[in-house]
Amino acid sequence: MATEQQSGEAVSDSRRTGPYASAVNWMETLTETQFAYLLLAPALILLGVIAVYPLVQTFSMSLFADQLTGSARLGEFVGLQNYIDLFTGARDFALPSAFLPTFTTQFPFVTDIYSSALMVTLIFTLFSVLFETLIGFGQALILDQDFRGRRWVRVAIIIPWAVPIVIQGMIFFLMFQPNIGFLIGTSDNPALLNQLGLIGTTPLRDTADALFLIIVADVWKTSAFMALLILAGMQSIDRSLYDVAKVAGASRWQQFKLITFPLILPTVLVAMLFRTIDAMRVYGIIETMAGCQTVPSLSCLVVTTFNAPLYGTSATVAFVTAGIIAVVVSVYIVNFASEGI
Amino acid sequence: MSSETSGVGVGADDAEMKRGPLGRWVDKAIKNPDRVYRAMFYVATVFFLVTTLFPFYWLLVLALTPNRLITNMGLLPKGFQPEVFITMFERVPFHLFMFNSFVLGITTTVIVLLIASLAGYVFGRLRFPGKGILMLGILAISYFPPAAFLIPLFELFTGNTALSIGAVTISSPDLFNTPAPMVLPFSALFLPLSIFILTTFYGQIPDGLEDAARVEGTTRLGALFRVIVPLSAPGVATAGVLTFIAVYNEFFFSFLMNNGEASSWAPIVAGILKYQGQFDTPFNLMAAASIVGVLPVAVLVIIAQERIVSGLTAGALKE
Repeated sequence: MATEQQSGEAVSDSRRTGPYASAVNWMETLTETQFAYLLLAPALILLGVIAVYPLVQTFSMSLFADQLTGSARLGEFVGLQNYIDLFTGARDFALPSAFLPTFTTQFPFVTDIYSSALMVTLIFTLFSVLFETLIGFGQALILDQDFRGRRWVRVAIIIPWAVPIVIQGMIFFLMFQPNIGFLIGTSDNPALLNQLGLIGTTPLRDTADALFLIIVADVWKTSAFMALLILAGMQSIDRSLYDVAKVAGASRWQQFKLITFPLILPTVLVAMLFRTIDAMRVYGIIETMAGCQTVPSLSCLVVTTFNAPLYGTSATVAFVTAGIIAVVVSVYIVNFASEGI
Repeated sequence: MSSETSGVGVGADDAEMKRGPLGRWVDKAIKNPDRVYRAMFYVATVFFLVTTLFPFYWLLVLALTPNRLITNMGLLPKGFQPEVFITMFERVPFHLFMFNSFVLGITTTVIVLLIASLAGYVFGRLRFPGKGILMLGILAISYFPPAAFLIPLFELFTGNTALSIGAVTISSPDLFNTPAPMVLPFSALFLPLSIFILTTFYGQIPDGLEDAARVEGTTRLGALFRVIVPLSAPGVATAGVLTFIAVYNEFFFSFLMNNGEASSWAPIVAGILKYQGQFDTPFNLMAAASIVGVLPVAVLVIIAQERIVSGLTAGALKE
């Protein structure tokens, strides 16, 4: 093997024989386009089998009814009936929680928002992305400074990002278990957060409280990701702009408002896009901290109906989830385009 | 803390500052707003350090406290029971789950680096029709939620998908409870990020180096693996570290694509959840297992922080 490689470098490839050599020779005769597609083939095959095929298959499954008995996975072809049932609420009986909230004519026009998977997912996404951006911004401002021990502060801020989701869930499960810590007590013996009236004494069993804590857990873990992206944006800013601003007598706040902020806005928007996509898929942290019964997200509905097994319904919810994410992505992209970023 | 304050300068004009009592501090602060900014900076730094690190400290407190004493805990452990780090392996074979996680992580990383190297070379160095569309397509795939792939992949890997060619019907092999149903989705899921990182790095190698290698008689693939890849070693390392951490952190397929037993290649997700399912709710064991489970990635972050930072920013922003 070793000698073959050595001689291979010295001797021109055309003199070698065997299947390897003929493959190499064949590769040399390809045009650049053919060669490009040959090298892309493994990536395209993998993505085709593991992503494109399942996506198409999920859509086609969503056109069939659920099959509750027998060995067949799917019932008869029903067209878009699954989607109609999902959006009219006719399918809610089969789901662990409703898909849409109940609409009313009075302000704020919706009730039962915490029992709606769509609303729970949107609330989670909105608040977690908002707070992650704000806190990530703060962390990035700190990491952008030059100070002794910066390397270790940076490690400390990044580490939550690297914590496995299941352990992140376990950490917050342990922090907010009733009566084991100083944060949550019992109804006879309320602890810090109960006395403040923030959350109840069984927070991981109550949808609103658990959703709040899951947002806290997600902000804890993922702010670092935002911080790193925003920091990269900050460090690509030309430092001489600040020198000019100082000479011109701009205060730190003015420097921030007039230089830092406008220049990193595109970066922040891209980072928010990534986080939004990610937040809309939330599943693992819910499963570990509170369970899908308490906090039903869209991915939770997919998994619960998949386990039931209600394949038609599950595929429908899965495809709708993908569609909602696609809509959110398009909104961002249209905004990018219109702002000319 | 205060001695550090005087030693560390944020602006250039801090040299003449001296520490003094509060009144003088406020006085100077009014004359020199930089001091206020610096005070805010330290308060914010301490705040972020406490909020990011406190949960780990809480794990340590719970792990060291004997389980029967875990109630109304303060900020300090009640007792000292380091044996918990042995008990946790006796109760649940956590080392096996961690081994599985490592195997899945390393296998996925190798597959991703190989495939992404080829694709990154194509996108970074070759010109061909359809390049833009293909890159956009690969990016778009990474937008879709794993939930949208779940059912067909589950059917595929449990041997329930049949392909008919004429009269011949081929069933997919039953791969459930092997590493394949996890490694393949992981590879597809984390491939786009590595492709974008490597595209950036490979694109930066000067054409002259590759041309020189080709003139010397290297094959096309030889030029990639003997010239381009070694010269982009930092990029390859970055993509590798990020892929490994991503696999180690993954929940969705790790949870759903096995039966939760260590013998079926279930990773740490199943291991940690097993402690939650114990009859006596051993909070101390849950905390100890969480600490042990975090250690590998914590070490990786400390060693490779520069790579992680550059990789995340290169990969995410170049898109």
